Formats: sequence, structure tokens, C-alpha cells
Amino acid sequence: MNSALEKHLNILDYALSALWRHRLKNGGIVVVFAAVIFLVASFQLVTTALTETAGKVLAVTPEITIQRMSAGRQEAIPLAYAEKLHDIFGIRAVVPRVWGYYFDEVRGANYTVLGVSADMPQADELSRAVVGGVMGSGGQGKVVVGRAVSQALQLQPGQLFSLFRPNLSLKAMTVAGIFRPETDLLTADLIAMPLVEARDLFLIPASKATDLCVYISNPAEIGTIAEKISKLLPDTRVLTRPQIQKTYQVVFGWRSGFASVCLLAALAAFAILAWDKASGLSPEERREIAILKILGWETADVLAMRFWEGGLVAGLAFLLGCTLAYLHVVFFGASLFRPVLVGWSVLHPALSLAPHVTLKEVLLLLAFTVVPYLAVTVVPAWRAASVPAESALSG
Amino acid sequence: MLIELDSVSKIYNQGQPNEVRALSEVSLAIPPQTMVCLKGPSGSGKSTLLSIIGCIFAPTSGRATIAGKALARLPDRFLTVHRRATIGFIFQRFNILPALSVVDNITLPLLPLGISPKVRRERAVILMDQLAIRHREHFPAGQVSGGELQRVAIARALVNDPPIILADEPTAHLDSRLSSEFMQIMADLKHAGKTIVITSHDPLVTEHPAIDRVVGVKDGRIDVP
Amino acid sequence: MFLNAWSLALTLTSIAGIVLGGIACRTAIRVLRHWNPASDSELQIRLEGEIWLSSTLVAYGLGFQIVSLILFVLAADEFCKVIVGAMCATGSLLANSYGMPALLVKLVGVFFYGFWIVLHQLDIRSESYPLVRTKYLYLLLLYPLMAADVTLQTLYIAGLKPDIITSCCAVVFAAATGGGTNLLTLGSENLQLLLYYLTMVLLLGLGGLLLWRWNRWLQALYAVGWFWFFGLALVVITNVISSYIYAMPYHHCPFCLLKPEYHYIGFAIYGTLIGGAFLGSSAGLVEPCKRRAGLAEVVASYQKRAVQISLILLLLFAALTSYHYLLYMASGGEV
Repeated sequence: MNSALEKHLNILDYALSALWRHRLKNGGIVVVFAAVIFLVASFQLVTTALTETAGKVLAVTPEITIQRMSAGRQEAIPLAYAEKLHDIFGIRAVVPRVWGYYFDEVRGANYTVLGVSADMPQADELSRAVVGGVMGSGGQGKVVVGRAVSQALQLQPGQLFSLFRPNLSLKAMTVAGIFRPETDLLTADLIAMPLVEARDLFLIPASKATDLCVYISNPAEIGTIAEKISKLLPDTRVLTRPQIQKTYQVVFGWRSGFASVCLLAALAAFAILAWDKASGLSPEERREIAILKILGWETADVLAMRFWEGGLVAGLAFLLGCTLAYLHVVFFGASLFRPVLVGWSVLHPALSLAPHVTLKEVLLLLAFTVVPYLAVTVVPAWRAASVPAESALSG
Repeated sequence: MLIELDSVSKIYNQGQPNEVRALSEVSLAIPPQTMVCLKGPSGSGKSTLLSIIGCIFAPTSGRATIAGKALARLPDRFLTVHRRATIGFIFQRFNILPALSVVDNITLPLLPLGISPKVRRERAVILMDQLAIRHREHFPAGQVSGGELQRVAIARALVNDPPIILADEPTAHLDSRLSSEFMQIMADLKHAGKTIVITSHDPLVTEHPAIDRVVGVKDGRIDVP
Repeated sequence: MFLNAWSLALTLTSIAGIVLGGIACRTAIRVLRHWNPASDSELQIRLEGEIWLSSTLVAYGLGFQIVSLILFVLAADEFCKVIVGAMCATGSLLANSYGMPALLVKLVGVFFYGFWIVLHQLDIRSESYPLVRTKYLYLLLLYPLMAADVTLQTLYIAGLKPDIITSCCAVVFAAATGGGTNLLTLGSENLQLLLYYLTMVLLLGLGGLLLWRWNRWLQALYAVGWFWFFGLALVVITNVISSYIYAMPYHHCPFCLLKPEYHYIGFAIYGTLIGGAFLGSSAGLVEPCKRRAGLAEVVASYQKRAVQISLILLLLFAALTSYHYLLYMASGGEV
């Protein structure tokens, strides 16, 4: 084998045994570092999960939603309103939608019912989220249900079930498919069906829907178009996507920033500790390095050894911290952060955090934790490596 | 000549108020397969002389040729590369790392040479057999007896098979039995072809029959009696 | 938008880089002022020790720079979630005029740090350290680059406002047929591919020729060829190859390749390209070092090794970028 490579392996080998020999000191650093990483990573994972939720909610939100208001409460909107919007330039499509809640008295559960017309631009997206079956295909009464619904009602694809209309007559439906688990955040309590079926369930006349979705080609025009619509239809409430987005930002923004700064402070404290530990060179360490150097280790070799030591400590702490953080967030619902996160339940009732961890998140955490650690320990490592070889002699 | 010093001087802090002239104009030639003792009080410059012979640093002026390499003002790195191939060190109190096992201590000089663990152990085993410390192979070096520790130190000095062995006050902390045992091993090594330089003022060393020459060092010069 | 994990991480990495760089530059100034290989003074010995500090710092700097480069692209991809109109990293980077320059400076930084390390590795092989002055002068020149990097990045992050509307790759890199708005047009798709593969074959030929018989001018040509190929490859990946990988004819984006949806193929593609371009061009750039004392042989062996590895990386890169295109062709796709 290449002797330069072999030499490096030897140095790595020695670094490992040195870590083991000083396991008490290094173990302490790993524990403290892992705790800091745990905090940073938990926080980051929660943030990612929430951002993902927000993103998914926004993705199926049309650019503009129009709801009819009467006496300050929402009521069904006539489809005729859509005709009035014809003249506004820049609108891609206006699509009626039924969006409502069905209260299951037997089980005490609330289901979200979504009735979509086939020409809704996001119909494809919904279809892709379905396992076994296509949204809106096939004959009458075909619906797609979320996993929570399918569990509550014990439904399998192809099975028949029925729900009560407001006049207590029964409406029969067949399960055409179940939403994929990945979309749980949005679809868990959802029963999606073609528009006509939803109207039938809620006994909404064919000329009406609960709201109108307005799709716009150029996002730059959302504001102007919304303004025009509210002038044209004075008895409606016009919701734009940027508005909703801003709501998320406000709820979330300062909390996340504030917490990040707190975590940075923890990181800084750890960096100081690491620097202190790395720069305080005990007489035994000095002697060891002097012996290594007189026996033929170059300064660069000692530096490489220190690098491996630091890298292994950081890597171990990183693995430990991240694993714990993942467990904390996914299985314990980020219970440590509850106080900071209050307010999120408003956005989604039974919020389960299932962050999607990719290389991206790992790299981000690495930059947050390991980079400062390595940066702080490099100068002390060099100081240690500069112990002169002749100090091993009696003098 | 294996070791050749030609009017070698070493000045610390040259040009500064705290300038120290540790060696001045020292000339010395040591042929292969000899055993030389450097004798002198502490502060006489014998450690500096040993450092130059041991390729730890180069002289400020003059020419030092060690095992065929002229040590001018060289960056540390090149001295180290030359040192680890040509010199075996035995220190006062042996400078063994107590937490490492005997075999790991012995193979320490082989790590930067890029020698694989398997070959490292093979070499150590041969030496441990020769020096009768094989049964201590996996003991922490801090737990073996003084005599065994001495042989661990000798094995470590031999493991890279250097032509030159330097011993720095090796008997200063040993009783007379261990000291003579040490000198006996050195004498054997000389007969096996090694060149040995020992600093000491212990009569057990300076008057040992295997010593070919005693060089007195005083005030940074070779003291001609 | 500083109160965001990605902005903070980028800033943190930059601060770490610039502090380490500052320490390295302090050594550089001391070496340039006081270096005297003939002297045996304490100062000279300390400086010789500090060489190891500075080289370690630059090596860390290179590592941080690579992390920062990847982080920057990924952060841009993340920012697109809050920037109206941006659909991927391209949109975020174009959200203000500092995004693309910052990215470019970061990329250039990787090359420059890398060259410094090559110089250093060559230098320490000769007993007289013949490149000491050159390499520390070079190190001092790196500092403005670091400063530019941090400044551009900070300006970019400061200029990001969630409510500013930007355009995205669909518009910026619109298909050539769309006319007008195309940022990177180089003739038709076929012409670009022809040029791309022709350059690749030429580089392979040149490299092979170099390994067979060394020649200074061929070496220079090979280095220049790699620079040309690097730029060309970035354009061709954006305009042509990316959409075959995405399997979407109108999606031309150089950054989405880095996403897990495409099995992180971008990391392999850019890794081999940057590695190859770095080694291929550095082999030519170190040519003047041959004249320095004790370096002729060291440099020659580095050049040979660098050319060998760059050729291997080129082949890997070719395979990685052609795979999806060939798959498309083999499955009966039309040009």
C-alpha cells in the first residue's frame, strides 16, 4: 500500500487510541457538545417540519379565495359570481369549491370534506397523493379518504359507507382510494370527492359552492386583481395567498429568530469551553507530544492527529445529538419546546411533527455546530503541535 | 565517518541581548561501529551537541554531516525525516508513555514511517524476544518493572533499525545492577554494528571497556585533557 | 433576512473563515517581512512553525469554503419558499443583484484556496522552501477575495425580502425557441452538445498525449482547455443536460440537480467537474515552479498525477452527464 496513506492510517489509529486513553475528558466534551447539538438540531427539525406544513398548506391554496359574507358570517356563494370576474385580465381560472366540516356524532370526530371540480388546476396534485385509485374517477359516490378517516371508520378501498345529510337521510359512498401517508399533515382527516357529491352531502344547491378559487398566472398581479374583485363583489371576503403566507411568517418569525439567537449563545458558550479545553496543555500532553516529535513525527503529523481527534469528537457528538433530537421531535413531539411553539396548533389541529430529513438539513446542522468547533480548536491544536522535540531531552 | 562535525557552533537567540553561545567551533568525527561517551557537567553544551548529532536541530554555523546528510540550516521537517530513519533515542528516565502498552511504545517510531500494523508488530516481536520482554507485550508500560522498562526503551530505539543510537543520561536514575546490564546490551549492539553515543558522567559508563572514546565537553567546547 | 437558520449558518461559516484567514494573513505578513532561511534566530524558527499553522488554516478555510458553497446553493433553494415567485434556487439567487456574484466568488474561492494548498504542498518538498514568498504573497491576495465573499453574501441576505417578487428559471433560462430573455444562449441545443463532446474528446486526447510525451505548450493548452470546458459544461448542464435529468423539457436549472429527488446526482456531477477542472488547470499553472530550486522533479510528478486524475474525473463526469441523455435517446426520444 501507498506509504503516505499508511502513515495517515497510523496517525488515525493513534488518534483513536489517544481518545480512548483520555476517555473521561473527551467523553465530557462529547456529552456537552452533543447536548448543544441536540438543542440546535431539535429546533431546526421542528422548524423544518413546520415550514413544510406551511408549504404544503400553501401549495394547495389558490392565489385568491372568495367567500360570500352575510351578517358577518360565511355563506354559500352563487356560481354566478364567477361570471362577473370574466372581464378581469390576468385570471387563469375561477373554480368553485366546497370546503366544509362533517361532525361524526358516533365517534365524536370532525372530518374535513373537500369537493373539487375536475377543472381545478391542482386536481392532478391531489390525484398523485392517492394510493389505489384515481381522484374523481369512476361512477357516482366515489370518494378518497385520508388515513385517519379510514382508520376511524375502518374503511378499505372499494368499501361502501354512508354519511348523514343535514336532513338525516343517508348518503352512500364508495372508497376509491386512500391518501398516501406522506401527505398525512394535510389529508389525515380529509374526505375528498367530486364537487357534485359534496353538494349532495351538504344539500347545497347546484348553483352554489362554499367558495370560489381564483387562479392567477402572474403572482405579481395578485394584489391588484384581489382589489378589483373586492370592488366588483362587495359582499365577499377576498383572501390572497400572500396574506396567508404573511400570517405564517408573523406567527413564526420572531419566535424562530429569538430561539436561534439563544441557541447561538449556547453554541458560543460551548465554543469557549472547547477552546479552553483544547488550549490547556497538561505537562503529560506536552511530554507525549515532545516524545512523538523526537521519535520522528512531523508538526504536520501531530496536527493531523489533533484534527482526527477533534473530528472524531465532533462526529460522535453530532451523531449522538442528531439522533436524540430526531427521537425528541418525532416521538416526543418536541416536548421541550412546547412553550415556544404554542400557537402552532392554531394552524393545524393535531400537528404531528414528521420532519423530512435530507442531506440539506444535515449539512446545515454541520455548519452550525462542527464548523465552529473545528475553527475554535485549530489554533490550540497548532500550539500543541509546536512543542519542540528537544524538550524530550534532559537539557 | 558516520558522524562528522566540522567547527560547529550553536548560538541561541542570535543578535539579541539574551544571546547564548551553547557550542563554539566543535569538531568531532565518529567512525561507524564505535561507542562514544560525551562527558560534562550540565550546561556544558553536551545536550546541544547531542541534539545536533540527533538531527533535532542544525548548527548555527559549521558543517555537520550525519549518516551522509549535511545538516545546514534546514527546515525542521527535513531534519525529522532524516532523524526518523537514522537515529534511535534512549532517554533519561526512558520517556516511555505509561498508558500505552509495551508493544505500542516500542512501535511508536514506526507510525510516521508509514509501516503497517502487521509489519510493526513483527518487528517488535523480534526485539521483544531478543530482550526477553515478550511476556509483557500487552502490559501498560506504566506497570512493568524498571529493568523491563529499560529494555522497552532499548527496543524502541532499535525498532526502526537505525545506524546510530543516542542515549541521553541513560543511567542517571538506575541502580548499578541495571546500569551495568544496560551497558552490556549497548556493548552487544556495538558488536552488532551500531554506532552509539552516550551522554553521561556516571563512571560505570565512562569507564566501561566497550567505550572507545570519552569526549569531554566544557563551556561549549571539546575539552582536551 | 438574517433571523433564519440558513442565513445564520452561512454567516457563521463566513465569520469562522474570515477569522482563520485573518490569522493566516498575520503569519503571511510576518513571513514576508522577516523570512530569512539562513538565519538561526528564534524568530525564524517561530516562523517555520507558523508555516504549519497557516497551511492548516488555509486547509480548513478550503473545507469551510466548500461547505459554504454548498450551503449557499441549498440556502437559496430554501429561501425560494418565502420569496414570492421563486420556484427554486435560481429564483432566489436572482432575487437581488448580489446572489449570483456571491455564488461566483464562492466558486472562485474554492479554486484559489485549492491552488494555494497545491503550492504549499510543492513548496515543502524542497529543502529551501523556494516558494515561500510567492505563496504568502498569494495568501495575502486571497484576503480581499474572502472579504468580497463575505460582503456579497451579507448584502445578498440583507437584500432578501419575502415580499419582493422575483422571476425563476422558467423565465430566465427559457428555451431558446422562446427568444429574447435567454440568459445563456449558445446556439441550438445540438450545437451546444456537439461543442461539449468535441471539447471533451479533445481534452481526453490532449491528456493522453501529455501522459505519453510531455510538452510545455501542450500542458498550457490542456490547462486552458479545462477552463474553457468548465464554463462550457456549466452552460450545457443548465441549458441541455439538466432537463434530460429532470425529464422535463422546460425545466432548465443548474441547482435542482443537488436535490434528493434526483438522487443528489448534482453533487457527483459538480464534484467531478470542479475536481477535474481544478487538477487539469493546476497542472498547467504550476509549470513556472519547475524553475525553482529542487522543485523540477516534484512539480513534474505532481503534473503527471494531476493529469491522470483529471482524465479519470473527466470520464466519470462524461458518464454522469450523458447517462440520462443516452437513456432518453435509447428509449426512442426525439432530438
